[in-house]
Amino acid sequence: MEQTIIKHISEVLSNEGLEEGLDKSDDLLGTGILDSLGMMKLILFIETEFNVKIPPEDMIIENFMTVERITHYLSNKKELPIS
Amino acid sequence: MIYTLPHSIAYWAEKTPNKEAFRFEDSVLTYEGLYTKMRQLSQFFIDQGVRKGDRIAIYTNRCLESVIAVYGIMECGAVFVPLDITAPPSRTSYLLQACGISHMVTIPSLKRKISTLLGSGSSLLSVIGAEADATVPSFSWDYIYALSLKNYSPVNVLEQDLAYIMYTSGSTGDPKGIMHTHYSGLSYARLSAELYGVSPRDVVANHAPLHFDIATFGYFTAPFSGATTVLVSDAQTILPQSLAALISKEGITIWYSVPLALIQLISSGSLQKYTIDTLRWVLFGGEKFAVKYLNHLMQLWPSARFCNVYGPAEINQCTYFHIPNLLEEDATIPIGQVWGNSEYKILDAKDNEVSGSEPGELVVRTATMMQGYWGNPVLTEKSLFKVKRDDGLSNSFYRTGDLVKKDSNGDLIFLGRNDFQVKVRGYRVELGEIESVIRVFGGIKEAIAFSHIDEYGESQIWAKIVTEDDSQPEINKLMEFCKSRLPGYAMPQNIEVMEDFPRTSSGKINRMELLKSYLKV
Repeated sequence: MEQTIIKHISEVLSNEGLEEGLDKSDDLLGTGILDSLGMMKLILFIETEFNVKIPPEDMIIENFMTVERITHYLSNKKELPIS
Repeated sequence: MIYTLPHSIAYWAEKTPNKEAFRFEDSVLTYEGLYTKMRQLSQFFIDQGVRKGDRIAIYTNRCLESVIAVYGIMECGAVFVPLDITAPPSRTSYLLQACGISHMVTIPSLKRKISTLLGSGSSLLSVIGAEADATVPSFSWDYIYALSLKNYSPVNVLEQDLAYIMYTSGSTGDPKGIMHTHYSGLSYARLSAELYGVSPRDVVANHAPLHFDIATFGYFTAPFSGATTVLVSDAQTILPQSLAALISKEGITIWYSVPLALIQLISSGSLQKYTIDTLRWVLFGGEKFAVKYLNHLMQLWPSARFCNVYGPAEINQCTYFHIPNLLEEDATIPIGQVWGNSEYKILDAKDNEVSGSEPGELVVRTATMMQGYWGNPVLTEKSLFKVKRDDGLSNSFYRTGDLVKKDSNGDLIFLGRNDFQVKVRGYRVELGEIESVIRVFGGIKEAIAFSHIDEYGESQIWAKIVTEDDSQPEINKLMEFCKSRLPGYAMPQNIEVMEDFPRTSSGKINRMELLKSYLKV
């Protein structure tokens, strides 16, 4: 999951060439890697790729700051019983 | 007497030293704190041999250090040049060279980007605020804050001296640098402070990055008025979910952004959760605001007045239209009236003034006008419309390139452009710049870029190309190529190969015919 997201960000979404590669703990929001459009596309990608629904109230900085946080958020989400 | 931008800080540091000038996340910069730190940075540059008029780059995202950089650079008589951290390194390197920049102010979290820039052979002599490669001396912020001001002797800066240069898209492929003086910058602060009645009680939200001209409201107008500016973080602008909470928590009284930010705020569905009753003014500009969303916000925030702001970066702001009440769905929002210390004319193709409500190009003469384009006297001259005076000199009006007409109330209505400039997310994009980049890619004979309106009413850049020998170019590679040379907002989202373009009888590309299917009927 982590690698899929990293690959998608560095190859498709990033504003810049990430010559040194993207690390799972790199700040996606504070260093110009993604802009607001890029973030919307990333959320769309995650929803289709992993077949999840991300409600607006979950689209917060804590959940999307780094790739690590995103996977953490997604795995916690999966453990919730489907109501 | 206040006649340079840093004078505002000195004035309020004396009057209200402990008042918060800027807030960012959990950090605060008081007027006294800012006054001290800007002089420490100024002292540093004086020690480094920086002379009046030298250009110094600011390479940061939204943060308190960006404020210290803005005022510290101007305080020592130098000119600040804000750079876009999301721009490709090749573009940033070009700007550093074109503007003859030797020093760059930044923050530690951008270290990796700085290394990339230095690696591509820049002209930088020092980096302030982050440790760079060993090849270039770097100085930490702690080093700056430890400098003594005991022997500080201010540089004699005049209001007509250059204060800052903002870069914008240029039609020939290279960005152009818009030069502003302390006089034009401060005139903007004065006029906007008066128009919106900005006072020390105000809390201004700054949403735009520093390299975008609407940031001058938060960076200049608020400190001129002794108010507090809250810098919205990059993360908050990317995830608009958090913006409603910010407006509520910070008690924002004046909001200024491009319409897109407000539309994202509405679409996030988070607005209803927070009480927002402190807002007095919502200013928007840079592009058209869909009436549907504007009406929605006006109903949601009854305490606020809404204002459509217009003005190319060359003249900062120059017109305003206060929205009187809810608008009809199909209404056109006027750009309104020219503000103080300004006059305008509407000219036809032969530079004669039009009469009545006839459309024409808007030209403006104002205190907030730039001094010209950096290193480009020819382009500067071309951008002016001159009116001879009896004394033999002439008055210069800036040619906006915007087509306008006067409506029955005497308000100006924006009709479109008379050239190939478009707006994407509020940013100016010259289609010619994109076409030049595409043409540099091997095997391409001709390229046409145009703006395509998507389903949300937002513009995107699309392009069509004709190849040299009917070969199929690799579109992915071409996209990559564009990405390495253009800022994100100017990137074509779609590139289509055509056998040939429709032509006029003289063989020129028939743009109208080509784009017919994309134009709204």
